[in-house]
Amino acid sequence: MTIPTLKRILLYLAAFLVFFFSASPVLISLLGSILPDQAIFSFPPDWFQFGVTFDNYRYIFTGEIPSSYEVKGAIRSMISDAARQVPGGMLNSTVVAFGVLVLNIAAGAPPAYAFARMRFRGKQLTFMALILAPLVPAVALATPVYLMIQWMGLLGTKAALILVHSVLTLPFTVLILSVFFRKIPVELEDAASVDGCTRFQVFTRIVLPLSLPSIFATGLFAFMLSYSEFLFALILGGEAKNRTLPVVMAALARNTDVSWGLLNASTFLAIIPTLVLVVIVWRFVVEGIIVGSVKG
Amino acid sequence: MVSQQQHRRYPIEWVLPVLFIVFLFTLFPVAHALWTSLHRVMVLLPGTPFVGLGNYRNVLASDYFLVALTNTVRFTLFSAPLTVLIGLGVAQVLLANFPGRMIVRSVVILPWALPGAITAFLWMWIFHPSWGILNLVLLKIGLIDSYIPWLTDPDLAKMIVIVAHTWTQYPFAAVLLMAALGGVDQQLYEAAKMDGASGWQRFRFITFPQIKAIIVILLVFNVLVGLTSYDVTYALTAGGPGDATILLSFNIWRESFSRLNFGNGSAVAFIVVLLSIGFLVAILRALPADIFGEK
Repeated sequence: MTIPTLKRILLYLAAFLVFFFSASPVLISLLGSILPDQAIFSFPPDWFQFGVTFDNYRYIFTGEIPSSYEVKGAIRSMISDAARQVPGGMLNSTVVAFGVLVLNIAAGAPPAYAFARMRFRGKQLTFMALILAPLVPAVALATPVYLMIQWMGLLGTKAALILVHSVLTLPFTVLILSVFFRKIPVELEDAASVDGCTRFQVFTRIVLPLSLPSIFATGLFAFMLSYSEFLFALILGGEAKNRTLPVVMAALARNTDVSWGLLNASTFLAIIPTLVLVVIVWRFVVEGIIVGSVKG
Repeated sequence: MVSQQQHRRYPIEWVLPVLFIVFLFTLFPVAHALWTSLHRVMVLLPGTPFVGLGNYRNVLASDYFLVALTNTVRFTLFSAPLTVLIGLGVAQVLLANFPGRMIVRSVVILPWALPGAITAFLWMWIFHPSWGILNLVLLKIGLIDSYIPWLTDPDLAKMIVIVAHTWTQYPFAAVLLMAALGGVDQQLYEAAKMDGASGWQRFRFITFPQIKAIIVILLVFNVLVGLTSYDVTYALTAGGPGDATILLSFNIWRESFSRLNFGNGSAVAFIVVLLSIGFLVAILRALPADIFGEK
């Protein structure tokens, strides 16, 4: 065997290992969601003796009790009504995360442009302060943030979560967007400026339209962080129908009565939107940053 | 001209909204927590008298403090370097060219994007002592005769929470390292190859100096994340078995919200902040890198 072929094989092996390490817990969960509970609890283990079933998914969306739980003498776990909150939690998370996306773009794009293109006193200092802000431990801020939200009268509202999640994501949004804005050819902006555009017009008529895909993708990055945030979603969330997905999932995971198959099905459902987002974010944000650094 | 800007006044109308939102929810809470840590703030007792460092003394003398501190430091000292090392390996693989590269690249950030409760559940599913898949696989291929009590053995549990936490953090490290590695000048490698440098030498003398700054930043970042992390570990073991995996960050929560002693809770939080600063200084001393200099 030649050396290059050996190298190829080692590379494929390494790539497979990376894939396996990242994806296998998710794939195992998918497998667990379509197996009846008596297969999971069987000893000696034989997972495929009872076939596969989609009853767990049907229960989450329609409330129809899985047929395997009617079998007399079957080893079964309880089923939990909390699993039926998963679709609602996904909806709540989506609404909050979409608000975070909009607020991040509206409040994040102008300062990112200022950091990318303007020279002013205190720029370095402002930028560093902004980037270091999210490093304060969130658990330490839980109580004061709760009190502030209470004082504003926003407790239990989606607006509160949108605001707090934006605080956590805005520094990253500004950082990523200023990388993108720096890559726009400055000659275009010069030309517009010579033609009499003000700074603000250059920004809204040249920079924004040119970088719309990057801006949207960066917004999705904020969306993703908000979608999976747990701590503030828990303490600011309020009543059960307002719970976001991570809060629903945490309640479900600590519920010892819940069926494992059902838990797996809920988990896999909860992962699907993240999976779709991850692909889009990688394609537009991460590749953009990497290419930027190579050329820069 | 945009390209020939002179120094101008502070562009307050461009940056005010973001500064207002971020600093309002950072500066006030930090100041409030600091004030709380110096006063007796208990829901059950009236008034909030100034107690100086009394809350800090309570925390240092408590039965949980030493165990939680040791666990937190061990957790951080293992997970932070492990995260950077795995991130570096993954970044090297993802920069190479192979069929299906886009799929692997996308899947890699999944662990970072998942909510902590889901991560904990996925790992519980693998390590569960009675029906976890790892025991099942090991038994099937004949490596073990009886199930290993992964989460109920103190030493194994300590190891597993580090694995689960590292799994959630390495994608971010890998992405930043890919960007840094992609920026290394390829001509340097060609020159080194002609001079007969080995793979390790090329990494040690060409790659490493150029990605050192990002490695230091990632180490610092992951130490800070490790010291304050709680969700995955809590959902996986709830601190057990016994007190094998309790962390200081749990106690911020427990003192404040289950004992309703907000003074003590804030004191724990500031001990964590002091610990973070200590680690930060130690790393920057041990690995001096020109982080804030010119590229």
